[in-house]
Amino acid sequence: MAFLNWLKRHLVVIAGLLTLGYLLLPNVVVTVFSFNQPKGRFNYEWQEFSTAAWTDPCGVADLCGSLSLSLQLAAWATLGATVLGTLIAFALVRYRFRARGAVNSLIFLPMAMPEVVMAASLLTLFLNLGAQLGFWTILIAHIMFCLSFVVVAVKARVMSMDPRLEEAARDLYAGPVQTFLRVTLPIAAPGIAAGALLAFALSFDDFIITNFNAGSTVTFPMFVWGSAQRGTPVQINVIGTAMFLIAVLFVVAGMVVTNRRKRQKA
Amino acid sequence: MSTLAEAEAPPPLAPVPTAKPPRRRGRWTPYLLLAPGLIWLLVFFAMPMVYQASTSVQTGSLEEGYRVTWHFATYWDALGEYYPQFLRSVLYAGTATFLCLLLGYPLAYLIAFRAGRWRNLILILVIAPFFTSFLIRTLAWKTILADGGPVVGVLNSLHVLDVTSWLGLTAGDRVLATPLAVVCGLTYNFLPFMILPLYTSLERIDGRLHEAAGDLYATPFTTFRKVTFPLSMPGVVSGTLLTFIPASGDYVNAELLGSTNTQMIGNVIQSQFLRILDYPTAAALSFILMAAILIMVTVYIRRSGTEDLV
Amino acid sequence: MKTTQNSSGDVRLTGIGKTYGSFTAVHPLDLTVPEGSFFALLGASGCGKTTTLRMIAGLEEPSQGTVSLGEQDVTHLPPYKRPVNTVFQSYALFPHLDIFENVAFGLRRRGLKSVKKQVDEMLDLVQLGEQARKKPHQLSGGQQQRVAVARALINHPKVLLLDEPLGALDLKLRRQMQLELKRIQTEVGITFIHVTHDQEEAMTMADTVAVMNGGRVEQLGSPADLYENPKTTFVANFLGTSNLIEAEVDSRSGEEIVLKAGDGKLVLPEARCAAPATTGGKVLVGIRPEKITLTHADDAGEIPVGRNRITGKIAATSFIGVSTQYVIDSSVCPDFEVYVQNIDRDARLVPGADVVLHWSPAHTFGLDAAQSLLAGTAGSAGVEEGAAL
Repeated sequence: MAFLNWLKRHLVVIAGLLTLGYLLLPNVVVTVFSFNQPKGRFNYEWQEFSTAAWTDPCGVADLCGSLSLSLQLAAWATLGATVLGTLIAFALVRYRFRARGAVNSLIFLPMAMPEVVMAASLLTLFLNLGAQLGFWTILIAHIMFCLSFVVVAVKARVMSMDPRLEEAARDLYAGPVQTFLRVTLPIAAPGIAAGALLAFALSFDDFIITNFNAGSTVTFPMFVWGSAQRGTPVQINVIGTAMFLIAVLFVVAGMVVTNRRKRQKA
Repeated sequence: MSTLAEAEAPPPLAPVPTAKPPRRRGRWTPYLLLAPGLIWLLVFFAMPMVYQASTSVQTGSLEEGYRVTWHFATYWDALGEYYPQFLRSVLYAGTATFLCLLLGYPLAYLIAFRAGRWRNLILILVIAPFFTSFLIRTLAWKTILADGGPVVGVLNSLHVLDVTSWLGLTAGDRVLATPLAVVCGLTYNFLPFMILPLYTSLERIDGRLHEAAGDLYATPFTTFRKVTFPLSMPGVVSGTLLTFIPASGDYVNAELLGSTNTQMIGNVIQSQFLRILDYPTAAALSFILMAAILIMVTVYIRRSGTEDLV
Repeated sequence: MKTTQNSSGDVRLTGIGKTYGSFTAVHPLDLTVPEGSFFALLGASGCGKTTTLRMIAGLEEPSQGTVSLGEQDVTHLPPYKRPVNTVFQSYALFPHLDIFENVAFGLRRRGLKSVKKQVDEMLDLVQLGEQARKKPHQLSGGQQQRVAVARALINHPKVLLLDEPLGALDLKLRRQMQLELKRIQTEVGITFIHVTHDQEEAMTMADTVAVMNGGRVEQLGSPADLYENPKTTFVANFLGTSNLIEAEVDSRSGEEIVLKAGDGKLVLPEARCAAPATTGGKVLVGIRPEKITLTHADDAGEIPVGRNRITGKIAATSFIGVSTQYVIDSSVCPDFEVYVQNIDRDARLVPGADVVLHWSPAHTFGLDAAQSLLAGTAGSAGVEEGAAL
């Protein structure tokens, strides 16, 4: 009876933790299998422990090339989408203008559209224009679909910002440019950073839109896709694990720093 | 105060321009801010849709080129030939969305109300998998669900697979290359898109509301049904949209974890476009998918009464 | 600012008005705020007081009229070019800057390099020297308020504008800051224009109060003048409490007007009547609750002659400590309020007792009867809960 009561009280916690396990299980598998020494071309069955792949992560042809291409693409796409998206977010929150509804729809639609539709139609455009598929077409596509997400992230932050702060700056002898640089931008920065981070993650991990518009250029996700057909090198798992660890490390470090700062000030 | 004033007198303010006509400050500013981004979206999002619409009513061949002939029959042919894939897409994506809600809600609730000092850590663990390419993680399911692996073994010994294969979800003692594997992969892939909006709307709920409901004779379950769940509706709506829309157009899970019998509409569009190069059919299929999604989303948003999602 | 000492530093609003589409926020008004005075704009929310303030600050462009500071016409100057600074409602302190940088903001924008001495001195003036390197959210409400004042004052503006500066503070702190602001104003001698919906706040601090209602200035004067000689029912009710009785002009004799209210007669000094009183016409007679003496009906004979009197029955009493407040039911005015100081308490004055209310005719004021009796009371539209405290 006591056990049943305990179960009843902690049902949500147990269910939640099970879901968390479901979410993390593939990462555990990816990590474990980065130490595998597979027989044959595919790395789906456990054979024996080996650190070979960790000591030679670029040992597979084209793998690190595709990785660095994806990083470059993500960096440029993030820059482009963040600048364009931030401008739109400010216009939406701070100004009245005609056709506001149409603008909102144009920003909402890319998020409400299955990727494959955007991918296919963009390819139609490029084919019709006779564009050379490659780095530039991928970049154009990535900026296009990251843009809306940046707008949403920045808009949320700018909307929660007290407009009196900018009035106070103007009242204290800051002209329009100074007001923007000294007050608006620093306060909107967390929203812009969140949008940029989201854009980077979306761009770096995108497969469907890239697959349609890449031509013969191979990004990291496309490399993984190709290897699922030809044979999966262990190095893929090494890179997946490393990225996971780096991300967690960054976030935890950030949290520790903010916590320490808080404690020092208190 | 006088000493203060003399300490360092600020430079005099700008001289006053006399009788300057009132000007409307920044009338063009919003348009200048909007222009670059909107032009980008118009050229690379809206215009492609127009091109695609035109492609879908063209006839011809790759060698001779295509011309607009208002050949709407392509739509009927495409629907007639590929309606099983359409149905499968809706079915798989719908099931995955439902499972995401079922699995995601307890975790979102846990993070919002029960996690205490573990809250941030759990949030990080929900987001962190994003940083391992989703293709790599999807491939991991090939290992997890492998034939003769531990998961299949347990399901088999519990006779779960007998039930699921009677339902047509699995085939024999295999899970891979069956609908179950595809739905499992879709659920896994889009689960964070459900959890995060749910968490956001749950986190906004004032914890005292739970106490107030309890004070007014509501059992914990009634409190959830009458207070918590209704208040989390915005999260439920945006979570289901963020899950269903990408899942319905996905072809990665069907390709990696399924078989030819589990193909979704995304697979068809992809192969028509990139392998068979039958552009009119591909464009028509993509257009039908887009229209179907837009109609479903609009109806759904109207009915759930939360139109201000953006 | 030596250059400004010779020229007059008055703030002059000439025919200034503001409309948004078809809604008129401020009707064209003329207002002069003398240099060095503490001026309050008092009114309920939506009365146009904040809009007026924002037009002086330059944050709102007037639809018509001009704003002048001394000799300067500043109507079309942007806020960053006006020698005017504002203490914003809920302060608007820059959350990403520490206290020192918040206070130094204005000086830095005007190109000053070495600001440390001035900022330190200013922080000392508001007793925040210790907190210079903290962020705004680490300070208490009262401290944030002082930072907001320091951040504006350090620029030596010709005029300091305060938009509900004490609205976010609790009652006790508000009292303390009222005195503090008054002290600072006396010390620096800068013109303060203060917007508030709290009549007590306005009366405590300001030399001159302009009561605004519906986009117009209802009455302008010193706090005592406004309180003793309200010209409209709005002012009578918004500043403190007034008992208003509808009466008919019976006769006029010399300096006095004799009025008929119910069965009794009331006397009103002609000089205190804000309405044209023609015989047979209607007038509203007003009397403040604390000016009234309450006598039990049994002792009615002891009331001196020549006093205005009204009879009634006690409906309710509440003991406040300093005073006791009575609500009297009378035929000429339901809910007549009387405040009696707790010096000698008459044990017979309990609900149900018959009483006589009487007061000196000199304390009576007269208003135009064509107005609403309830304008400016807590229940009437546009008056916030706190406004009629």
